[in-house]
Amino acid sequence: MKTTSTQIGAVVSNQREIAWRSPRLASLLVAALAVVLVARASPMFSQQPATAQAPQSTSIPDVKCVIGLETFEPNTKGTLSLLPTGLEFATGKNKADITTASIQDIFTGEESRQDVSGTAGTVAKLAIPYGGGRIVSLFSHGVELLTVDYVDSNGGSHGTIFVLPPGKATELRNQLIAQGANVTTHVEPPEPKDQKP
Amino acid sequence: MNPLSRTAFSSIFSIAAGGAALLLAASLVAQPRPSGLTQKLTASAIQIERTDPPEDLLVPEAFRVSTYENVIREVTKTNKFQHVYRSGDRTAADVPDLVILHMIPQAFKEGSQKKREVTTVAGSTSIEMKVQFTSRDGKVLLEKDLEGKVRFFGENLRATYDIAKKVAAVVNDTF
Repeated sequence: MKTTSTQIGAVVSNQREIAWRSPRLASLLVAALAVVLVARASPMFSQQPATAQAPQSTSIPDVKCVIGLETFEPNTKGTLSLLPTGLEFATGKNKADITTASIQDIFTGEESRQDVSGTAGTVAKLAIPYGGGRIVSLFSHGVELLTVDYVDSNGGSHGTIFVLPPGKATELRNQLIAQGANVTTHVEPPEPKDQKP
Repeated sequence: MNPLSRTAFSSIFSIAAGGAALLLAASLVAQPRPSGLTQKLTASAIQIERTDPPEDLLVPEAFRVSTYENVIREVTKTNKFQHVYRSGDRTAADVPDLVILHMIPQAFKEGSQKKREVTTVAGSTSIEMKVQFTSRDGKVLLEKDLEGKVRFFGENLRATYDIAKKVAAVVNDTF
């Protein structure tokens, strides 16, 4: 037993000596350490400019474009971003821009949407026996509509409607006004009774 | 069957047959003319103006924009015109036989999707609109009153899609 432990100790110390003595191994170790440090540090450095740009651009995911962007079908969901040049609506494949200079007016309005909706949701509601679908219809959530009137290069009038989470449309409207978008004073129609809290 | 009841039966039968013949004749007279007999309008391009509600009628901007955009989509789909111009498009000025479509809201009632789906009888959304096709000099070529509705399923803005489909049907019948 004594002999075995002595042998093992001799082998380990031998390996240590090889490691310390070999300059090639040492340099490899330093290089690996440097790679690990750079890899950990680079995201921190790259995040700094993004944080600095945050106040200039706002991105809202899961925004529904109801109608009005010619490159998109009605009711397309995507990300609506406020850029220094105006609004940008983008999906994975496609994007459309509305420049601040082309905006003629901006409107916001509150609405409510059913929690279970769409064709599949409607079929599911109908399938619930004893009129249970009506109970499901009671559940809804508030949304805010952002309606943007703008003109194209020929002077043709366009209008686009976006459905956003509550409060976001007003926030975007204010930011667009700060960028110089045109707006007029609006007379707001009375809201339907069931939308009041 | 005794002779008296036979006479009564024949008289009742003759009255019923006469009534049916009268109804048939009246329905034939009341039938509208086949569309082939009405003279169709021709135009190579159409310009669709934005909806312009009267001052005393408040229509939310989302409904106005949605109506305008839906009508442009649906009229384009009819393929009756070489070009569908938007309101304000300067390039439409060069088109000689341009027809202009005006949409004037007459009544608007905003309902509630929740009410519609829960009660099935209340909460419908409707928009009534006068649709005018005019020539460039303002001569009215055709005028129709249309109504867009959403009665049960769908969001309120779907009423604008309904009216746009009706405008497209009028375009199909007229051009």
